[in-house]
Amino acid sequence: MIFGFNGQEIIACLLMGAGLVFLIGSMVGMLRLPDYYSRVHASGNSETLGTLLVFLGLMVFNGFSNVSAKIFIIAVFVFLGNPIGSHILAKAAYKTGHPVWTKKQAVQHELSTEPTSSIATAEEKEAQANADLHG
Amino acid sequence: MQIFFLVIMAALIMTIGLMLQRLFQGPTIFDRMNGLGVITADTILLIVLFGFLDKQPGMYVDLAMAYAMMGCLGSVVLAKYLGGKKL
Amino acid sequence: MGKFDVIRDKSIVGAPVVHLTAMTAVLFGFWLLLSGTFQTKFLIYGILTAVISAWVTYPLLLLPSADETKKYFVFGFNPIKLLIYFFWLMWQLVLANVDVLKATVRPEIEINPRIVKFRYQTDNPMAKVILANSITLTPGTVTIDVTDDGVFYVHALTDGAADGLNGGMQKMVGWLLSEPYDFEMLGEEY
Repeated sequence: MIFGFNGQEIIACLLMGAGLVFLIGSMVGMLRLPDYYSRVHASGNSETLGTLLVFLGLMVFNGFSNVSAKIFIIAVFVFLGNPIGSHILAKAAYKTGHPVWTKKQAVQHELSTEPTSSIATAEEKEAQANADLHG
Repeated sequence: MQIFFLVIMAALIMTIGLMLQRLFQGPTIFDRMNGLGVITADTILLIVLFGFLDKQPGMYVDLAMAYAMMGCLGSVVLAKYLGGKKL
Repeated sequence: MGKFDVIRDKSIVGAPVVHLTAMTAVLFGFWLLLSGTFQTKFLIYGILTAVISAWVTYPLLLLPSADETKKYFVFGFNPIKLLIYFFWLMWQLVLANVDVLKATVRPEIEINPRIVKFRYQTDNPMAKVILANSITLTPGTVTIDVTDDGVFYVHALTDGAADGLNGGMQKMVGWLLSEPYDFEMLGEEY
C-alpha cells in the first residue's frame, strides 16, 4: 500500500504513465518534424506503443474478465488497421509525386542564395499533384 | 485511481486539440488524413477511459470496438479515393 | 461445379477441413466474447452463424502462389509460432519506439530520412503481406510500395531504423511461415 494504492493499481499506473510518455512524444513529433513521410513515423509512435501500454494498464487494473478480453480485441483491431491506413496513405502520396524531405536537400536549401525558390517549387509540385488527383 | 484517469484524459484532449491544428493547417491533404488517424486512435482511448471513470466499462468498450473498426475502414476508403486510379 | 469441391481441392496447401474447423472455432469464440450469454438458444445461433460464415468466406481467403499452381490459405499459421512471432514483434516495437522518440524529442532533431529498397521473393504471398505489415507497424519504417516481383520500397526515418531492415525481420517471417525465401538489398536513395 503506497498512497492508498494496492500493487495491481500501481502496476496499472506505471504502464499507463509509460503510455502517456509515448502519446506526448508522438504529439511533439507530429508538430516538429519537417515533412509528411517523417510525420507518419511520429503518428505510428502513439498509435502502436502509446495505445498498447494504456490498454495494457487498463487490462491490469480491470483484472481477468470479459471487458479485458474486449480491450485486447480492440488493441488487435488497432494493430491490424493502423499499418493498412498509414501504408495506403504513404503509397498515395508517393504515387502522386509528393517529394521526400532529405538531409542533403535541407543543407542545400540553407546554403542556396535565394531561400524562397526551393519552397516555391515544392508548393508548385504540390499544386500539380493535387490537380492530378482531382482531374 | 480516478485522478490518474482524469490526468490521462486531459493529456489526450490536449493532444486532440493540437492535432486539430495539424488537421486544419497541415500543408497537404495527407497531413490532414494523418492527423485524423491520430485523433481516431486517441478517441478510442478516451472512450474506454471514460467508461472506467463512469464505472460501467462494458458498454463503452463495445462503442470503442465499433469505432476502431470504422476508423480502419474509413482511412482506407479515403486513401483509396485520394490515390485514385494510380493505387 | 460440386458443392464440396473446395474440400477435395488438391492444389490447396494443408488440409481444408482443418482450416474450416479452426476458422469456425475462432469465429464462435468471438461470438461468445461479444454476446457474453451462455443460453442454449444463443449458442446454437452462434454455431450456425460461425459455420455458415466460415463456409461462405473460405474460397475468398485462398491466395494463389507465385507460379499459380498452388493455393495458400490466408490464416494458415502455426499458432505456437504465431505467438512467438507476436512477442518478438512486440519487443522490436518497444526498441523502435524508443529510437524514434529519442530522435524526435531532442532539442536537435536527429533524423536522416531515406528510401531503402530490397527484394524479398517467396512462393507464399502471405509472407510479403506479413512482412510489409510488420515493417509499417514498427515506427521508423513505413512500407511505401511492394511490386509484383517482390521489390519493397521502405521509407526509413533514422540510421538505426534503416539498419534494422537488414534481414532480421525477413528471417523471422520466413520462419513463421516455414517458407524458403530469397532476399537481397538493392540500395538506398537519399
